[in-house]
Amino acid sequence: MSSSPLSRTPRGSRIVAVAATGAALALILSGCGVANSSTGGGGAAGDTLRIVLPQEPPTLEPCEGSLTATGIVTRSNITEPLVERNPTSGELEPLLATEWEATGETEWTFTLREGVTFSDGSPFTADSAAFAIDRAVNSDLGCNVEGYVFGDDDLVVSAVDDTTLTVQTVRPDPILPLRLSFVEIVPESTSTSEKVREPIGTGPYAIASWDTGTKLTLDRNADYWGEAPSYAAAEYQWRSEGTVRAAMVTSGEADVAVGLGPDDGAGELGVDYANNETVALRLSGDIAPLDDIRVRQAVNYAIDREGILGSLFTEETKPAAQLIPTGVVGFNDDLETWEFDLDAAKALVDEARADGVPVDTEITLVARNAQFPKVTEMAQVLQEELAQAGLNVKLTMVDTTQHLQHQLRPFVTDQGPIALLIMHGNQAGDAQFTVDQYMRTDGAQSAFGTAEFDEILAAAGEQSDEERATAYEEVFAYQNEEIVQFATIAHMVGEIGLATTVDYTPDAATGDEIRLSDFVRVD
Amino acid sequence: MWTFLRRRIISSAVPLVVVILGVFALARLTGNPASLYLPLNATQQMRDDFAARNGLDDPLWLQMANYIGGVFRLDFGTSLRTGEDAATMALRAFPATLQLAGVTMLLAIVLAVLVGSWAALKPNGIADRISSFISMAAASVPDFWLAIVGIFVFAITLGWLPTSGVASGASWILPIATLLLRPFGVLVQIVRGAMVSSLSEPYIKLARSKGASESRVVFRHALRNAAAPALTVAGDLAVGLINGAVVVESIFGWPGIGKLMIDSILQRDFAVLQAAVLVTAISIFTLNIVIDLLYALLDARVRPAGTMRKRRVNVSVPA
Repeated sequence: MSSSPLSRTPRGSRIVAVAATGAALALILSGCGVANSSTGGGGAAGDTLRIVLPQEPPTLEPCEGSLTATGIVTRSNITEPLVERNPTSGELEPLLATEWEATGETEWTFTLREGVTFSDGSPFTADSAAFAIDRAVNSDLGCNVEGYVFGDDDLVVSAVDDTTLTVQTVRPDPILPLRLSFVEIVPESTSTSEKVREPIGTGPYAIASWDTGTKLTLDRNADYWGEAPSYAAAEYQWRSEGTVRAAMVTSGEADVAVGLGPDDGAGELGVDYANNETVALRLSGDIAPLDDIRVRQAVNYAIDREGILGSLFTEETKPAAQLIPTGVVGFNDDLETWEFDLDAAKALVDEARADGVPVDTEITLVARNAQFPKVTEMAQVLQEELAQAGLNVKLTMVDTTQHLQHQLRPFVTDQGPIALLIMHGNQAGDAQFTVDQYMRTDGAQSAFGTAEFDEILAAAGEQSDEERATAYEEVFAYQNEEIVQFATIAHMVGEIGLATTVDYTPDAATGDEIRLSDFVRVD
Repeated sequence: MWTFLRRRIISSAVPLVVVILGVFALARLTGNPASLYLPLNATQQMRDDFAARNGLDDPLWLQMANYIGGVFRLDFGTSLRTGEDAATMALRAFPATLQLAGVTMLLAIVLAVLVGSWAALKPNGIADRISSFISMAAASVPDFWLAIVGIFVFAITLGWLPTSGVASGASWILPIATLLLRPFGVLVQIVRGAMVSSLSEPYIKLARSKGASESRVVFRHALRNAAAPALTVAGDLAVGLINGAVVVESIFGWPGIGKLMIDSILQRDFAVLQAAVLVTAISIFTLNIVIDLLYALLDARVRPAGTMRKRRVNVSVPA
């Protein structure tokens, strides 16, 4: 038989060419890894803590540390603040500052720790601290931490000597040290004109490599001033699906999975913990019929908190009587949650109707998709329960941006009365961060207020220590009795997946900070 | 051929510009994204500062003019989210998607040709029924469901494959298998249908009566004529692949441009979204041009008159 005519015709040779190209492609692709990634990890297998996050940190700039996606990697790992709040006791603990006291009405003085160096070898002094605070709070960088903790006020920071720092505030500020716990200290070599993606800090770990899109690796800082942490390295990856994060822990591909929901399948490796989030309905008390306090009270009576939580959430999820959880300064232990009393709710609505209040106006219940597990189901139950009390309620599920338009000033004003389902996390540890936003007449997230309440709030903010706690406890009691802007529903519970080789007890801060030093390897 | 190429490139440029400007305008119609980037208690002043710092308070036409000016300097803006150069982010993420889509499409075509031909040779036989079933499943099953089920069965329960990520060769398998299903399902039916009609042509009977072997009949004669419609459909499917990779990339943590695009949309990261759309659009237009060329090479009837050298066109008669 003659040789194959395949290669002798134009088409034949083309087929050969295509086949050859295909084979070559296959060989090339099998040889290399996926573009935009590098294979191989750092550190010995057992000595690296492998963590999977819900999203990649957009940046590791320390002054954006109040952004959860950034702070969860940087805070107390790469960089450290002067003082740090213990999430369980609520006390401030010394970190880069060993002592601090109020030395004037608007001045605090900090004594700094000696013998500390940054991971690039430069020494930590009061000048570094002053620089870092100035950069985060007073500059034009537009840092997240500036807006979150300090607002429009600037600080006057000066280094008295190498280990003494004074900070002056515009107004008397009893919680300045707490605010400063959000400012991470960076060396003076850090750019002041741009935010930096990979910072230097004093923390127990330093950045080893960042494969943008794939993996972030931190190595133990050999020059760390404190006790060396258990793990020699930490590897961060990210998966947006909770079920995939849980699967990585159960199949041994990761040691820690953050931000799991109860249905994500972590099983016995899932550990529940009370995070600092509270879910509530915020009522637009400046629009009828929600401007009548009886209607707002009816909303509170109509919600069967125990029933909702029992059927949708885990046991540890508790009904809430106020917008902050226990452990935050100002939490009122004696406050009771509203009783579920449908008859009382109906009676109040009828009474309002008899007085001419337009209770049949359609109220829109607005909730955000995927804000927390089972948010849709909860919103549906709430709509149904409010309807049973005699109110006309329509449910709308929206995405983040639309939800923010309802949540923040200037609010949506052309959609009638709104009952907004919100989730508020107070990671700062002081009630002022909650009430100033949510209860002042001009608060960024407050639908309404009264002049009297504003005075109470302002007075509380000026107290310190015991008086402060008492004053804020009264604020929450006053809110529930006289204002009723909120129907607080639940103190939420988060879940973290932990491999059996990891010893770690989550606390209220776990959702915002994963302190690597708290993880201990068990064999 | 060069005339043809030149014409196609120019006619692709117009829709490209429309797409870019369209995305530009639509994205900015969603308002000031400051609230997504600033803390919740940021003041109005801070929001205004944010808008000013990022040029978002200029009128739309001015923003567009600045953007186009930047494009000519190869400056596509910076990410609101990360502060990095938008073009760098898009170009860094694109090869990963290209690899995923390329390998998937190649496998889909090869498998579709094999299975589709087999099905056409024996209508209503096993291959035919299997391929019909798969095609229907492919059209009905959502890819995110398939991805999660795949992870559950092969990674968690059986432990054969990694759950996700890009760490090893084995981590290619689940993402590709998930993406493969729909193009395979469509192509196998196209190939089968085209083959059935090719195989019933008179020249096939002629070839068979001259004693040609069955494989020669199928691959040398019938398939060549079935290739053209399959190729066109494959081109359309490739477009869907690049977009469908969004789901697979999100679930498997594949660092590709689909995930970059969806994150940019959710975070209103305008510059990165525009850069990613530009990169994707250019690659799709390029792909379409390549397909047109291949189509013309394969089917003489389609070649524009006088644009290619004369070639012998007829079926070769076996020796």
